Parts: sequence; C-alpha cells; structure tokens
Amino acid sequence: MNAVDGSDHYEVAAEGPAPSLLVIVLDTNPHAWALLAPTLPLSKAIANILVFINAHLAVNNANQVAVVASHSHRAVWLYPRPPSSVEDVEMSDMTSPHLDNANKYRPFALIEDSLLTSLRELISTTTEADISTTTTTQMAGALTLALAYINKATINYTGISTETKTTQTAVDTNEAPIGLQSRILVVSVSGDLAHQYIPIMNTTFAAQRLRIPIDILKLAGDTVFLQQASDATKGIYMHLRSPQGLLQYLMMAFLPDQMSRKHLIAPSQEVVDFRAACFCHRKVVDVGFVCSICLSIFCSPPEGAICLTCSTHLSLGDYGAKPAVVPRKKKKRKKINGGVDTGSARGTPAPGE
Amino acid sequence: MPRAIRGVLVQCDPSIKSIISKIDNEEHAFIVEELDDQTLVIKENMMTTLKMKLDEILKETQNNDESSSDE
Amino acid sequence: MSVSTLASFEYLERLPGTTFRRLYQQPSTALAIFRRMLPHLAKTFVMALLYMSKPFPLTDLDLWVNPNSKRERDKALQLLSRLYIITVTPPSRDDPQTITLTQKFGESLRLALTGGGEHNSFGVPSNDSVAEGVDLAFLDEYAREQWEGILHYVVNSVGQSMGGGGQGPTDAVKHLLEAGQLVTTGRHSGKGITQAGFSFLLQEVNAQVWTLLLLWIENAEKMELDSVEVLSFLFMLGSLELGRAYSKDTLTDSQRQMLPYLVDFGLVYIPRSSSGHFFPTRLATTLTSDASALRSVSAGFDAASSAGGAKGFIIIETNYRLYAYTDSPLQIAVLSLFTRFKARFPNMVSGRVTRKSVGNAISHGITSDQIITYLSTHAHPQLVKNASIHGGPVLPPTVVDQIRLWQIENERMKATPGFLFKDFENGKEYEGCVKYADEIGVLIWKNDFKKMFFVTRVEQLRDYIKSKKLK
Repeated sequence: MNAVDGSDHYEVAAEGPAPSLLVIVLDTNPHAWALLAPTLPLSKAIANILVFINAHLAVNNANQVAVVASHSHRAVWLYPRPPSSVEDVEMSDMTSPHLDNANKYRPFALIEDSLLTSLRELISTTTEADISTTTTTQMAGALTLALAYINKATINYTGISTETKTTQTAVDTNEAPIGLQSRILVVSVSGDLAHQYIPIMNTTFAAQRLRIPIDILKLAGDTVFLQQASDATKGIYMHLRSPQGLLQYLMMAFLPDQMSRKHLIAPSQEVVDFRAACFCHRKVVDVGFVCSICLSIFCSPPEGAICLTCSTHLSLGDYGAKPAVVPRKKKKRKKINGGVDTGSARGTPAPGE
Repeated sequence: MPRAIRGVLVQCDPSIKSIISKIDNEEHAFIVEELDDQTLVIKENMMTTLKMKLDEILKETQNNDESSSDE
Repeated sequence: MSVSTLASFEYLERLPGTTFRRLYQQPSTALAIFRRMLPHLAKTFVMALLYMSKPFPLTDLDLWVNPNSKRERDKALQLLSRLYIITVTPPSRDDPQTITLTQKFGESLRLALTGGGEHNSFGVPSNDSVAEGVDLAFLDEYAREQWEGILHYVVNSVGQSMGGGGQGPTDAVKHLLEAGQLVTTGRHSGKGITQAGFSFLLQEVNAQVWTLLLLWIENAEKMELDSVEVLSFLFMLGSLELGRAYSKDTLTDSQRQMLPYLVDFGLVYIPRSSSGHFFPTRLATTLTSDASALRSVSAGFDAASSAGGAKGFIIIETNYRLYAYTDSPLQIAVLSLFTRFKARFPNMVSGRVTRKSVGNAISHGITSDQIITYLSTHAHPQLVKNASIHGGPVLPPTVVDQIRLWQIENERMKATPGFLFKDFENGKEYEGCVKYADEIGVLIWKNDFKKMFFVTRVEQLRDYIKSKKLK
C-alpha cells in the first residue's frame, strides 16, 4: 500500500561515533610534585584523573585508555600493566574485595585498581639516588611509548597494517574520521626539558603526521617544547592558574574528543614560544647559528667551525664584526666600501641592534 | 498574524503532482494548498486514500515488463 | 545500532517525567542512558556540567560552541531536556538563562563515575563456587541457541521445515511475538510472518534484542511488572561482566520474577544445579553497547557457530546471480525474502535477484539499504578477497545500484506530516520565523516569494511567535 511513498526509507541512520583511545602521560617527577603538594597533592590529582578516565570510558563503550608515567629516570606503563606483571593482577583480582563492589562499574574498578597498584610500585621502587641525580622527567620516552601504543591499538582495531594507513592519512586531507580516534594528554608538572629537545620534537612530528593531537595540561613549570608539540598537532594547551580546579578543567576542556572538538571552540594559547634548543649545550636560544648543510642549531660557533652533527666545515665569514649602518651614498660614487658588511653578516639580522 | 495549517507536505515530480491534482479535481477532498510544481500540502487524514488511488493509477500506466529477468 | 537506538529512544521519550526521576536513581541506569541514548555533543555537555558547582549561563555555552554548530547544539540541548537530564531556566528579563543538570541524574552519574553509595546497581558478583563448564564459549553457544530458536520460530512461518536442533521458544515468547505482531496466527494454516517480522529478521542481533525487549516491557505492564523496574534491571544487566556469576539474593522480587523471561530470550543463563546465581550472556552485556562495541557480539556468535559454516557465504555476480553456501533454513528464508531461488543443493542454493523479487521485499517494508547491508556483511570471503586485491567494493556496483534503483522506481513522492505557515504580514516577520525554524531544525520547505514555509514541529515556533508578539 505504501509502495508509492518513499518517506519511510529516508530515515537517516545515526552513525555511531568512532571510539577513541586516550593515552595519558602523567609526569610523576618527584621534585615537581613536592613543590606542588601544598596546592594539589599527587593523591588528589590522581583521584581527579581517575574520575576523568572513567568519564572518558563512560562516553563510549569502545573507548580505551592507557596511562604512562614519565618518571625521573624512566617511563613506565601504569595501565595497561606490562605483560610480565599481568599474572599478579589476576591473582589480586581474586583476592581484593573492593573489586567485587557492586556499587562500582566493574571496568572502572579494574582500571583504578591496576593504576593505583602500578603507581605504588613505581613510587616504592624509586630510590633516593634516583631522585637526587636528576630533577627532570623522561617526557620524550613516555611520549614515544604512547605513540607506539597508539600505533598498536590502531592496527588491532582496523586490522590493516600501518603502512597503508599512514600513507592514506597523510594524503587525503578532508577525510571523515574513521577507525580509532587517538589522542595524547600530557599532565605536566616539570619545567625545563631542553635536554630532550630532539626526541620530543621527533615524537611531535610523528604525532602530527599520524594526526594525533597532543593535549598539554600544565600544572606547574613551563616548557617551550610541549607548547610547540600541542601547537603542531592542533592539541589543547592549558596552564592552570588554580590547580585545585583540575577536574573541571579536565572535564570541560580535555574530555571532548576530535569529533566534538569540531563543534567547540577549544581553548588555545595565544602566543606559542617557538624557540629551539641548541644541539651543543641544550640551551633554549633566541638567536643561534644554523649549519647550512644539516640545519643543526648551535648557541655559539662550534669548535673549529666544524658542525657537530654532520662534520661539515663551515665558514663563518666575518662573524662578530659590528654591523654598521651604511648611509646612502651619493650616486656619483661608483662603489661603496664593502669591507664591513659581507653577505653573511647582512643575511643574519641581529636582534637588539 | 500568520496562520499554521496542519497537513502533510508531499514532495514529488511534476508528473506525480499533476496526477494528484487530477485526483483532487474529482472531489476536492485532498489538497490543502498547492505550493509549486513539486510540492503540495495534503489533508492528513486523506493521505492513505490518496496513496491507494495513486498506486492504482500508477499500476495502469507503468508497463510491467518482467520478461527480461526470466530465462 | 541505529535501528535499536531509535526504537528504544522513542519508547523512552514517551515516558513521563516521574518515571525518569525514578529511573535516574540507579547509577547504572544513568550511566547506560548517558552512554547509549545521547548524541556525542550532548555527552560533552553533560560531562562539562557534571562537576560544575554553579548553573552554567547559556551565553557562556554559546561562547564555547562553534557558531557553525548551532544546530547541533540546539538539538543536543533539546534532547537533554526532553530526557529530563538538564533543566534550562525559562527566559526572563532579569536573569540570564542558565542550564543545570537535574539533581537526580547528576548525583547518579557522579556516583557511577566515582563508585560509592549503597545502591548495588552494578550487580553483586556471587562468591559461591562457580558452576563448572560455564565459560565464555558455553554462554555464547547458549545465547545463540536460544536466540536462533526465536528467529527460527519467526521464519518458520515462511514455510521452511525446522532445521537443526532446538525445541523452539517457550510459549511466553511465542505470545510475545504474536502480541508484537511479528507473527500472526493466520486464518488458514497456523502462523504467518508479518511485515514487522520481516524487518525484524534483517536487523542485527542487538537491534533484534531491543525490539523484543521493548515489546516485552510494553506487555510487562499487563503482567503487573513495573516498567521502571524492568528498565533499570535491563540497564544493570548491560553493565555486568560476561562470564561472571552474579548473586540473585540482592535482586528485588520483581527482578527475580523477570529472570525466567530473560532466560527464555537467552539473555541470562541459570545453571540447573545451583539456583543462587545467574550468568549474563553476551546478548545481555552488550545491551547498552553501541555499534562499534557490537562487533564483539557477531564475533562471539561466529565463533560459536563456526562449526556450522564460515562467516560469509553469499556470492553475487554482476549478472544478478546469487549463490549462497549455506544449509541453514534461517539464512535461506531470509535470502528468499528478496531473491528468486532456482535450485537447492545440499550445501548451497542458487538464485537470482530480480526486479520483482526486490520489489516484493520493498513492498514488505524492507529497504534496499537493508538488503545491501545484509549482502555485504554476509559476502563470501572470496568476494571480500577479490575486492581487497582490486581495491573495489565488495558487491558488484551494478547490482548495488540496481537494487537502489528498483527501490526508487516506485517511490515517487516523499510525505512529511507537519504544519504549513502562511499569511505573514510582512517580509521581516516571515524571515525571522523561517530563520528560527531553520535553527531549531524543523524547517522542511520554504518559499520566500510566497512567504510560506513548512515545519515538522509547531510547539517551539508557536512560543517564539507569541514572544515576538509580546514585544
């Protein structure tokens, strides 16, 4: 009877959103947390992050989460736990009574339990020597672990090899998001990371190519390279002025995945610090020397004018000569005195002059 | 003051529309408003009757050439 | 996925506010509704509001949402308030409009995320010795058997002889299928399948389960079961873990009353030896999952039925010939809904997709997309392999296009019930109304020249016109 009428067939099928994978890189630098303790102790931050993880999992059944700790000497998986210790988890599964709590959604309870156990392990295995020898954190290592995990999860999800996947994502620009949507959230408390400049930038570019946004939540300190990482990967960068409000910031700014971010105006930093670190002393430099062959950056001319990366002999020209403002000469004069401004000095604008 | 009229919006080809107009011409029981070549508003309770009539007419006009699909 | 979401949606939206308030008392229900029923942007809003101490001004929300996504925003807000999840203060001159989560929903969802409280809504695992031999494979096999029994019963009316084992569903299920008009007790010879039954068959498992459960809930009221209790019990089942035993002791009386029905559906398994606990099957634990998570269901079923045959069995050629390597009466019956079969062999049937056969299916309410999806999900591995080598589609494009064309052929018009607005006093008034109607997503058709437009819903627009008149 209704054959003439096609209305029923035009029902638009609501396509379920793609599941997303959230990898949290938690900076567990003991020095930085000690400084933060009066305003936001680690325990409280972890509690907030756990609620955030649960919220992420609640959004979609197929959503996944992974947590890496970037500790003072190494980067460690907090969840999922490395395979070697998996047996332990299952054992404790049977015994720990709070896992059987009917008041908690079981997947949430499992993650919470595993994460807290590994975090405790990590803290108990940290020796005083570890703490005293360094004040920074293995951010680059943790980011690499995160990327590796995302890669593996993507292969698992789609069942195709990355080779084809990456070339596809690199080629077409306006694709509809399909498959697993991954992103990285870095909860950072440490300051200077200049000594890891190169590995961090490498992971950043890898993430950029794979279209994985790196979100940065800065609780303390300031890191130039994480700013650049979030900027290059179109992630969110936020510096919390009041760390007590951590959970609200997490829920509002960092929970939306790539799908919802299309509809939202993401908080972003107005000014990105694009400075780089030199290859010789790992110092953040405003103005430096760049090898013309391999583009390595140096804060001062390398010894013997030989590039430390590619060993090219570089000629520095008249470096150090004071650039002089040459007044425009009258036309009658045939030639101006070229002794002062050689090509190299003119090509490098000196700030502050 | 604008008026709101309840009805069913029908969007179709001009050919179908003219058939509907033809049906309506007999008793003026279907059409509320003719909007343009391809759209018109039909009384809600007459929709099923209209569909049946339309179906009948279409069956007459369409030639059911099924022989090609048999061997 | 979409089908079941739509069906369960419609049912929920019809419920009165008090029912919702009672439903939201259970954290598992709040979580399930949040996860399953809300569009993506709405989830984002809820989460942002969840730990907000003060009401959130609507103007701030506008700042947060991309101006191009105003329509999505309005849709999300509308749905949230229809499901009694948020309250929006009515517009007034003194205070700006604000939104807050309704108290009950907020509390329950927070409890669900953090754990705690004494609600026991995520099921109490049983610590008794677990019955032996109850593992994932067993549960999958059990659920599949029960569910296929029901499907067989529905298909059976087509006229195929019952194949395989299985004693068919219980009387209660049979009554339910009849009440839901999936099958009718025909005048001449027993049962007959109905249009609803046809499209029921072509749905995927999760959608089928929901269709049947919603039927059951509607009938539950007649059986003097409270629909709120039933719903929250189902949502609880959805949050349980597969392969674990759960204790029956903490269930309420009416929930215990429901268990036998759920056993009939294959959602729950109760070992004969010990009646103190029950096992949810995959059908139950995926109730509140969505499309992406549902792969596990079919995967689980395929694993269970792998003894019977491979996953894909249909080969379709560019000349519309179809070969199906199966001996399952269920699959053959489903195929015969849109195929004209010519020959049947012990392990395969062959036939042809014709204009008439597809037209027949369409007149039964089956859409061309349903047919195409069915064909491609059940395509033979050989077809899939060829497609991946050449990088083309799995099904021959000519056939796919033709099936679509066959459908469109008879669809000569599109009807949308709603309201026609006309007789506007001036262009400005008309434009304001059209713009508003477009923003709230109800505008179907407009003609600027004639100053008329057509909308699907009238309530909001009426309020808007009234408020304009007041000013």
